[in-house]
Amino acid sequence: MNQRLHRHEQTLFLAGAAAILVLFSIAPWLQPLGEIAAARENSLALLASSRVWMLLLRSLLLSSAVTALALLIGLPLGVLFGRMDVPLRRALWVAHAFPMFLPPFLLALGWFHLLGRQGLLGGESTAALLFSEVGLVFVLGVTLAPIVTSLVAVGVMGVDASLEEAARLVARPWRVATHILLPAASPAIALAAIVVFALALSELGVPMFLRVDVFPAAVFARLGGVDYAPGEAFALALPLVPVAACLLILERRFVGRHSYAVLGLRSGARAPLPLRRLRAPLTAAATIASIVSVAPIAALAIRASRGSGGVATILDWSRRAPLNGVLAAAAAASGISAIGLIVGHAAARRERGASVLDALSVLAFVTPASVLGVGLIAVWNRAATQMIYGTLAILVVGYMARYVAVGVRVVASSVSQSPVHLEEAAAAHGAHFARRLFRIVLPLHARGVMFAWLLAAVFCMRDLETAVLFYPPGGEPLTVRIFTLEANGPESVVAGLALLQVGMTLAVLGLGAFAFLWRRAP
Amino acid sequence: MPGPVRPYLTHWIGLALALLFVSMLSCTKRKNEVVVYTSVDQVFSEPVFRAFEREAGIEVRAVFDTEETKSTGVLNRLIAESDHPQADVFWSGDPVRPFLLIKRGLVEPYLSPAVSGLPAGMRAADGTWTGFAARARVLLVNRGKVPSGETPRSIRDLADPRWRGQTSIANPLFGTTTMHVAALFAAWGEERARAFMNDIKANDVRVASSNGEVKRLVAAGEVAFGLTDTDDAHEALGEGAPVEVIYPDQDGMGALVMPTTAVLLRRGPHGEAGKKLVDYLVGPEAERMMAESAAHMPLRAGVPTPANVRSVSDIRTMEVDYARVASEMERIQPWLRQWSGL
Repeated sequence: MNQRLHRHEQTLFLAGAAAILVLFSIAPWLQPLGEIAAARENSLALLASSRVWMLLLRSLLLSSAVTALALLIGLPLGVLFGRMDVPLRRALWVAHAFPMFLPPFLLALGWFHLLGRQGLLGGESTAALLFSEVGLVFVLGVTLAPIVTSLVAVGVMGVDASLEEAARLVARPWRVATHILLPAASPAIALAAIVVFALALSELGVPMFLRVDVFPAAVFARLGGVDYAPGEAFALALPLVPVAACLLILERRFVGRHSYAVLGLRSGARAPLPLRRLRAPLTAAATIASIVSVAPIAALAIRASRGSGGVATILDWSRRAPLNGVLAAAAAASGISAIGLIVGHAAARRERGASVLDALSVLAFVTPASVLGVGLIAVWNRAATQMIYGTLAILVVGYMARYVAVGVRVVASSVSQSPVHLEEAAAAHGAHFARRLFRIVLPLHARGVMFAWLLAAVFCMRDLETAVLFYPPGGEPLTVRIFTLEANGPESVVAGLALLQVGMTLAVLGLGAFAFLWRRAP
Repeated sequence: MPGPVRPYLTHWIGLALALLFVSMLSCTKRKNEVVVYTSVDQVFSEPVFRAFEREAGIEVRAVFDTEETKSTGVLNRLIAESDHPQADVFWSGDPVRPFLLIKRGLVEPYLSPAVSGLPAGMRAADGTWTGFAARARVLLVNRGKVPSGETPRSIRDLADPRWRGQTSIANPLFGTTTMHVAALFAAWGEERARAFMNDIKANDVRVASSNGEVKRLVAAGEVAFGLTDTDDAHEALGEGAPVEVIYPDQDGMGALVMPTTAVLLRRGPHGEAGKKLVDYLVGPEAERMMAESAAHMPLRAGVPTPANVRSVSDIRTMEVDYARVASEMERIQPWLRQWSGL
């Protein structure tokens, strides 16, 4: 019996992960399908409306513009921070990258305090620009550019040293960067572009704040109409499914199982490439980019400091929201990294069925969160599941449903960079799957799994769209609390709460960095 | 497993499980609590809940609306959760949304003993809803953009070609603007109300995302005047904006007045605590707090009316049957969506 169980251990592990994935990420979609069928006529009429398709086209164009701006900023900065001899490049990289871990609408709020009509640097014209399509592209482009920067930097750091050294014999550093490093890091660039596009397309908070019409806001608004008709909202979300599928195909085509470096796993200690005459101007450009990235945070700090109530008032308004957010994010990140370990490992080793689970997880990540929210209510608001629906556990379920792809992709990338020989040798000596997973794969890829946990935790902490529709009463995370207070709450309090979110994110990232350093120590 | 890794992983997994457990325990149902869903702005409603917590010793767990789906986001969540209700009380920012719940059998009639002093027309005789702390729909006029002799006096001025492209209303699919449009359909009839809406659209009215946004547009002088609520208008005055508040149609049908309403929900998990919260909300203390912090018009004679706001008895108010407005509001939604372009 035990022998038979051991033989099928991997299948059982994978089936368990698949069951969770289906229950959390897929089941919420089944109920909406029924709703669409019930509201067939209205749904068809809605989809026949030209405004729906024009709005979708508009959102696709805006997301493309955001992606283009993020690439324009992120590609050169990625090469500079990754391989060039820019002074203090690590510090500048950290300053530039930090905002990508924050909810984008908080940064929009910061830009408002900077460029709004009564902003620190603002006036009529800057306010008009900010509250327009141009402002939306600027805010999201600058906010998401660090994703490109960081993935490109890690990508160029992971390029085979021999390639770079051979090129340096015959070419100047900048030519090496543009002709060797960037092409070699192209899977990382493709991944960055896909992630930025998906995040820009699904973004709800920033377009709502800047009052720009976009498709996800229309879906969200349809769920908020007087004649509650979720079927119509789900039908409205349907055109996003082929878009998500296209992103998935692109991800498979250009990224897929390419071995791009994660966490600089292959980054040995190599001397940075000399910039020579370009060092001063490019250092200045990198410094300006980093200042621009943190400028909205500084504006929030200044606005918060001008409030009358001080820290006590801000903490009083925050109530339990910071704790709610951190608890749910940490628990969800733990679940995500566990599923990521099983599915990510299987995907990297091309096990049967793993690629389907991997694809489903990516699909759940890029499809509209508001539809997922209503589906989750339908699935989990039952008598038998009140311990989940009525508690923070529903946030954990929602976060896992949306962000499980983060764990799967990070672990898959990490595992795909190591040879399979060790696992094969262990299997030949009779080690069953669980033993190999926990005694070989996990210790070997502990940093990858930790990074998956950290990234998932940060993604959950910055989430607004998923949680806003179903957070438990009194259990809202800080992002939701800031969003619901933002419209009419005192500006200094809202800015202070935003700073609290910044502090919490810094603390989680700091703990993660500490854990990495501790793990590295002999 | 290598030596240093095992304890590290054990701690990691232990921490993860502990977090999951704490998440499950957090926010679990407790006896001495009440769950309320509200479309009243969080910045105003939360202090009222805290005052209730202090007085009654009952913890309030709340779900708040977002500005963009104001009045309907939490309402729809109540409907979505109707098989297994999570909430005990719905505190609505207007008097018509509760009728959508009453129609679906989600409301528990409750005649609160705390209603003394509230006018009979502002509450249901069967106890399904109780109104208090009201707002009115007003025209907010930018003094710099409108000469004093040309001040708009009626909502019909929104359709006046003289103000083409210089007026604003909030999205009529949400918030108090939906109710206002439905009240016009109830008062004027289908044909006249549709013609009015089409006229203001043809007059290039700027459709803002919320009443707060209308206030911002008027205060900034981006439009000459707009239709908004008294609390937003009060805020503009408080911010020192060059604006004037006009209660419309004082020589005609009057201004639309909208009390906030407290509703006890059927099969709520904490029925008795829910009743206590309703008692507190419709009592004089909550009305006083809403008048002071949110510039709502008190419906009780004994509660002072805030500065810059007129008392309900001082203005001509639109005669409305809130139940009829509610059914009109549902009926005209498909047409309104067409009007809005979605």
